[in-house]
Amino acid sequence: MRSLWFHLMPYPDLPDGFADHHRSVWVDIDPGLYDPEVGHRAYHDYLDELEYAASVGFDGICVNEHHANGYGLMPSPNLMAATLARSTDDAAIVVMGDSLALYNPPLRVAEELAMVDGLSGGRLVAGFPVGTPMDTCFAYGMNPLTLRERYHEAHDLVVRAWTAEEPFAFNGTYTKLRYVNPWPRPVQQPHPPIWIPGGGSVETWEWCAEMDYVYSYLSYFGYKAGQATMRGFWQRMADLGREPNPFQAGFIQFVGVADTDAEARRLYREPAEYFFNRCLHLYPPFADPPGYQTEATVRAGVEGMVARAAARSAGRKKAPMGSSTGGGFTFDEMVELGYVVIGSPTSVAEQLVDVATTLNVGNLMLLLQFGNMDRDLTMFNTDLVAREVLPEIRGLFEDEWEHRWWPIPMGAGRRRSVGGAR
Amino acid sequence: MVDIERRKVATGSGPVTTFELGEGPVVGFLHGPAGLDEPTACMRDLAVDHRVVAPCLPGFGPTPGDPTLRTVHDWVVFLSELTDRLGLVGSRWVASSVSAMLALELAAVRPEAFRSLVAVAPTGLWDPDDPGVDLYSLSLTDQAVHLVADEEVRTALAALPEGLDTDGLVELGVSRYVRRRTAASLVWPLPDHGLADRLHRVAAEVVLVWGSEDRIVPPSYGERFAGLLPTATVAPPIAGAAHLVALDAPAAVAAIVRNDSG
Repeated sequence: MRSLWFHLMPYPDLPDGFADHHRSVWVDIDPGLYDPEVGHRAYHDYLDELEYAASVGFDGICVNEHHANGYGLMPSPNLMAATLARSTDDAAIVVMGDSLALYNPPLRVAEELAMVDGLSGGRLVAGFPVGTPMDTCFAYGMNPLTLRERYHEAHDLVVRAWTAEEPFAFNGTYTKLRYVNPWPRPVQQPHPPIWIPGGGSVETWEWCAEMDYVYSYLSYFGYKAGQATMRGFWQRMADLGREPNPFQAGFIQFVGVADTDAEARRLYREPAEYFFNRCLHLYPPFADPPGYQTEATVRAGVEGMVARAAARSAGRKKAPMGSSTGGGFTFDEMVELGYVVIGSPTSVAEQLVDVATTLNVGNLMLLLQFGNMDRDLTMFNTDLVAREVLPEIRGLFEDEWEHRWWPIPMGAGRRRSVGGAR
Repeated sequence: MVDIERRKVATGSGPVTTFELGEGPVVGFLHGPAGLDEPTACMRDLAVDHRVVAPCLPGFGPTPGDPTLRTVHDWVVFLSELTDRLGLVGSRWVASSVSAMLALELAAVRPEAFRSLVAVAPTGLWDPDDPGVDLYSLSLTDQAVHLVADEEVRTALAALPEGLDTDGLVELGVSRYVRRRTAASLVWPLPDHGLADRLHRVAAEVVLVWGSEDRIVPPSYGERFAGLLPTATVAPPIAGAAHLVALDAPAAVAAIVRNDSG
């Protein structure tokens, strides 16, 4: 089992009553709420936390990309990854990831990630999400109709740029380049491992199977809600004749650990409530611009609606992200529904083993900082997980399966040590 | 009761379902973002003394979408071909919203395309001081209210036809999504594709029609268009109508077209 420490880098000072007085945490969040000095401290705290995680034994550290977003201060994950490449030694640097269609030309991604791979001595995992509709269609103005076509074309360009042995011309629909010849080139050959953060679409599952990429289901709603999606993924993989190697799957999970279950509930209540009730306060139309969903996904959704209407089934409370305002979840609900795994080290280790084995996931991305959790509590949480939880889950799957999607860095003797000039 | 002929017109984007109704002078009619499942009340009104030819554009109902129609340029080339295939080059036309934008684009690059054009609340210009409401930042319910002011018309547009089986309901749901997707793609993220720089080439006489309650493309845009077009008049705003004026006030729009072609 590979344990990865994932940072969203939330803005930590959204005001009380944010959800009551503001329309959305994303896209049109009030710029007046951003205090650059708070941002300055947050960036340094967050980089400290990622560096600390790398130093205490997490296998990888993760950053991601969002735009105009109050819970994600990383418009450029590559900037953070570059910093971490200099300040860490062994952990995988997992960029989860670059929203390929947003880069013009997308060759920039091949170049910047090759820089990160070079700086880190070959520790990069390259994540390529389509990107949320809030980021892509609203904050960056991408036409929903052509977003996915742009994404796939950009993917083809980046991979070919990394692997071509000669300069080549690229005649895409959206990108036209007479000379493609990125310098530098990645340390890892033929290219860094590629992981695909996705929702629950069948097309993404099939694409990961076809391309032999890792599928990472990045939902904030925990392992209970994630079971159906991961079951669907593995069923589709089986249908396609692929082996159920858990290292080809990733999953994200909020975790809070303390000496006792009661203490954990006391410590993590406020940051969890901050995250779920402020950071996920999303104006629903921003989550569903017409054209963002594929026709197949829309068809499946309509079929579901028609079936439900026919069955006159009673509605259940919806998860907030992408469908509602994110308001009104109590901490008890968050724990009960599995959004947040809370408890003593023993309890959390048992739950994470259950998560990993139930979902058959070999890359567990842990959110140990969430909401407005401060640096001290984050370090405490990270330290306790590293000392008392990771040893209990580390061995999972390792004897049975080969991890073919993990970075292969340069040997220690060939890597230059960093620092030392000041 | 007017006879309606439904046929498919071959184009490079596939067969285009086209409705024809009425007898008299020919008027081409390009629908708005709601698409075209059958002739509208405005078309039927006009058909009393006109031959109305109303194609359903790709992705807007019974005509399947064409994935090669990505840009406004692609659409203008398509529309040029469609007018040829319909035999309506140089005819009188009516067009609404995004279709009116496409018609003006075609008229700019092919001035002989239309003899006259009744442009109902065309998109295509952008005034940062009067941008209008971002339709796609609204809930579907609010979108409907901004498109059509008349509640009865709105209800009829959203209604499910009687007798549809499960498969039919699914296809209808998908079709409604696809037409929203197609319309949005023509104005995303902003409706300005440079039309302002080309409008001076339009040779057709243009009548600009607005609903007084249009908050998507505010009525003030009528004068902006008129100022950029060589030969244009702005009709008095139609009271109470929202963006899809021909659905909100079919008789009023038909009267303007009749006046234009008289």
